[in-house]
Amino acid sequence: MPNIEIDKREFDDLVGESMDEEKMIEEGSMLGAHWHRIEGNVCDVETYPNRPDLLSVEGLARAYRGFFDLDKGREEYEIQEGEEKVEVDDSVDDVRPFIGGAIVRNLELSKKKINGLIQLQEKLHETMGRRRDKLAIGLHDLDEVKPPFTYKAVEPEKVSFTPLEYDRDMQLGEILDEHEKGRKYSWILDDEDMYPIIEDAENRVLSFPPIINNQLTEVHPGTTDIFIDVTGKHEETVKKALNILVTALAERGGQIESMDVGGEKMPMLEPEKRELDVEYFRNISGLDLEPDEIAERLQMMKFGADAGKEKIDVEIPAYRTDVMHQYDLIEDVVIAHRYSNIEAEMPNVDQPGARKPIEDLVERVRKILVGKGALEANTYYLSSNEKLFDRMEREEEDIAEMSNALTEDYAVVRNWLTPSLFQTLHDNRHHSYPQEFFEAEDVVELDDSAVGASNHRKLAYLISNSGVNYTDARKTLQVLERDLGVDFEVREAERSFMKEGRCAEILVEGDKIGFIGEYSDQVVENWDLDGSVAGFEIYLEKLV
Amino acid sequence: MKLSEQAIRILGELQEQKQLTVGQLEQEGYDQSMVNRAALELQGKNLVDITEDEESIYTLTEAGKQVRDKGSPEHRLLKRVKQGDKEISDLQDLQIDVALGKARERGWIKIRDGEVELLEPVEEALEEDVLKKRLEESRFKEEYSERGLVKEEFKIVRTLEITDEGRNLGLDDVEIEFNVESKAETPRTGKRHFYKDILGFAREKFVEMGFQEMSGDFVVPSLLNFDALYTAQDHPARDLHDTFFMKNPEKADLSEYGDKVEHIKETHEDGWTTGSSGWDYDWSEEEAAKNVLRTHTTAVSARRLHEIDLNEEELPKKLFIIGRNFRNETVDRTHLAGFIQLDGIVVGEDLNFKNLKAYLSEFFQKMGYSEFRLIPSYYPYTEMSTEVQVYDEEEDEWLGMGGAGLFRPEVVKPLLGFEATVLAWGLGVGRIAMKAAGIEDIRELYRNDIEILETTPKWRPQNVGDSV
Repeated sequence: MPNIEIDKREFDDLVGESMDEEKMIEEGSMLGAHWHRIEGNVCDVETYPNRPDLLSVEGLARAYRGFFDLDKGREEYEIQEGEEKVEVDDSVDDVRPFIGGAIVRNLELSKKKINGLIQLQEKLHETMGRRRDKLAIGLHDLDEVKPPFTYKAVEPEKVSFTPLEYDRDMQLGEILDEHEKGRKYSWILDDEDMYPIIEDAENRVLSFPPIINNQLTEVHPGTTDIFIDVTGKHEETVKKALNILVTALAERGGQIESMDVGGEKMPMLEPEKRELDVEYFRNISGLDLEPDEIAERLQMMKFGADAGKEKIDVEIPAYRTDVMHQYDLIEDVVIAHRYSNIEAEMPNVDQPGARKPIEDLVERVRKILVGKGALEANTYYLSSNEKLFDRMEREEEDIAEMSNALTEDYAVVRNWLTPSLFQTLHDNRHHSYPQEFFEAEDVVELDDSAVGASNHRKLAYLISNSGVNYTDARKTLQVLERDLGVDFEVREAERSFMKEGRCAEILVEGDKIGFIGEYSDQVVENWDLDGSVAGFEIYLEKLV
Repeated sequence: MKLSEQAIRILGELQEQKQLTVGQLEQEGYDQSMVNRAALELQGKNLVDITEDEESIYTLTEAGKQVRDKGSPEHRLLKRVKQGDKEISDLQDLQIDVALGKARERGWIKIRDGEVELLEPVEEALEEDVLKKRLEESRFKEEYSERGLVKEEFKIVRTLEITDEGRNLGLDDVEIEFNVESKAETPRTGKRHFYKDILGFAREKFVEMGFQEMSGDFVVPSLLNFDALYTAQDHPARDLHDTFFMKNPEKADLSEYGDKVEHIKETHEDGWTTGSSGWDYDWSEEEAAKNVLRTHTTAVSARRLHEIDLNEEELPKKLFIIGRNFRNETVDRTHLAGFIQLDGIVVGEDLNFKNLKAYLSEFFQKMGYSEFRLIPSYYPYTEMSTEVQVYDEEEDEWLGMGGAGLFRPEVVKPLLGFEATVLAWGLGVGRIAMKAAGIEDIRELYRNDIEILETTPKWRPQNVGDSV
């Protein structure tokens, strides 16, 4: 979840009132943005990915003006008709097809405001922008360049400029190899022969999206007029991000000016319209609100809302990205109403509860083995081939394996439990003996199901001490047999990890369900254990 | 002289061995706390001297294990450059910053125009990965700790040495002091794991509330884990960083979902007939067929919704599962590669947000938390998304217990085939287990230290009123 830092004085200024800190942390968090801390003037606010419009102090102040009933309803932003243009060349179609652009004038930017703007830009890159792949934003000092601008794709060697943080001209390819931002984001341009740029009327490069801007256009304290470009791979996302930026700047008193971007007039701040059905709202929320009460709560969330008898006409602000369904409006009404004002109401759903039969069996097995004196272990499901096979002196088998595990220690899903119990013995070497552990959990085996793998419930048991032998494991198995009321057939067998002549298979009604025996000295040594270890492992499914 | 029976036994060992550490006595089968008590008693009578030393123990960190198993970044860099991979942009799969830094520090390389050049003479450095070798042989240096490859921990070693007086004391002449007030050794018994104890309790409570248990596999198609839950295919949760994708079995056959695959596709693209505008992108079936280790038990709830057949069962229905889930995280004090989630759904025609609050509130009351609250939150698959918090009286703080909400129509209609309301939650009680066992390192939930297992009291909820 994105965290942002904002200045409390700026926030209060924009809200138009000095907000109580305690109130922001307690009640403010009920808007869907968590106010974690306010220390001095620094507020630490966490927002959710569905509300990128809250990633700036301006956006937050706008939302809270409504939420705290200071200024309800949809905000209207005036757009001045502008003359400037962004030409869009077809060459970008295969690389980064969409661009949005707008001008904002009459800004009074301080260092602090610029930092807030950069924070908004960076957070939009990370969240909505999917690390600049889906969208990237450039902010430019308009005084330094000359419109019209052109958005086009070029061959990397043919263009050079001085990127931010450098003091010499670099070719585009050079920027990708050497510049910190180039190295970080070059993956977005992998496999591309042509790279996108925005240049001005005098062929000066403004930006090499989604990588870096020209130093020339850097915004600094005192900058009054800026040109915003948003480029990306998803048209709607590009336009919404532009709306979030220009409306945030307008909240600061900036004057939005439209541009002709590839023949389209931008930004487009007309609200989207939707209807909210009153009855549907009541059914889903459980709140028996009147139409005008519903409309008022929508206005508290900064929607335009006009109450009819059965329907509310809703105008959705152009910076909101998350309203896809009536459900989203219902949620906002309930948020404005406050979750804390919702009364719990238990419906009458008459149904007997039930556990899975396998869980019942596991519960009985637990009681039996705990009564026998064994400790129940709780171990990891993920493991490594080294632990499951090499250390167990067992030949490697095909098992469920991940493709992108961060460490080899957790790269496969175990297909048997015994290695996990050996790990448990290993981790408890410093404690006294005898030690006795069991675990009844799932393993995963490959099969020919639609997915290709399924879970199976197994039980494993180990006992360790100097002088422990086959008989000790057999005793426990017999306790299980006696108390579950089943008959096990035990038939001599061989396993690579067991001592010869001290190993057997366990069968129930002719079906093999597991093995029992004394582990070989090599296995015991592989796990750095002294003494000896005996135990068994069986499938539980056949005993249900 | 009078001594306790325990002290006599320890003194007997020391008369034979002269000096022993507490650890050595433990190896002989003595209980640690018993040894410590006896030692203090013997020290009080000048029969034994106790000395304490600090011993430092080095253990490999995850990063250290990586170097031990795969080689040091700087050595791997040398090998790659030697093979002809010179461009830094091609070497990003190594820990490139560390590799470049260390290799430069050692004077092995220089960097020019984004390319790495080997400096002579590196032949010797190429031949052997000294760092890897040292880690393999457990020969640790201070520097490794700074690099985060090993961690140093201190352990107190307590040594008992017999005094001349102790040596000369004839044990047969000592009178056994029997003290009915002193403690005996607590025997080791069988016991349930404390975490499973709590999970078992929670299972009972759901059954009491009339919920029926579900089950499901760990390996599921992305379709169930993400797409059916209206999580767009470019959502960050589907990143390789967060989710384990399967190499084997790599893909699922989705034909068992029939038309529903098409409905899910259309729902993502333009909302289908759900009344939604959708995510507006080209949905890929290939992406949905990729198998993952489920990242939440909600995938099982999705599967169960798909299976509901009105010819065989009636609505409303209350269902739950307690199960493991997986996240591709590096394991440390606060992170695991997996976690246990308690998922519940209630499926019906006339259900609402107030009902959701009622189920959650009743469950947490049964778990011993009388105060609970809902905070607005976000999940792609719910609306009225909410974080569930309970108030912990002892700690005087609100604890996050998981998330809840109503499944969006974009989830329900494609899976069920018709419209209904689904209340849903995914909760975690790991925090409760950690508090019960007094542990702060989350890995202890899975380490099964005998002392923690034995000394953690059987779990029962705090403050359960008469109503439950």
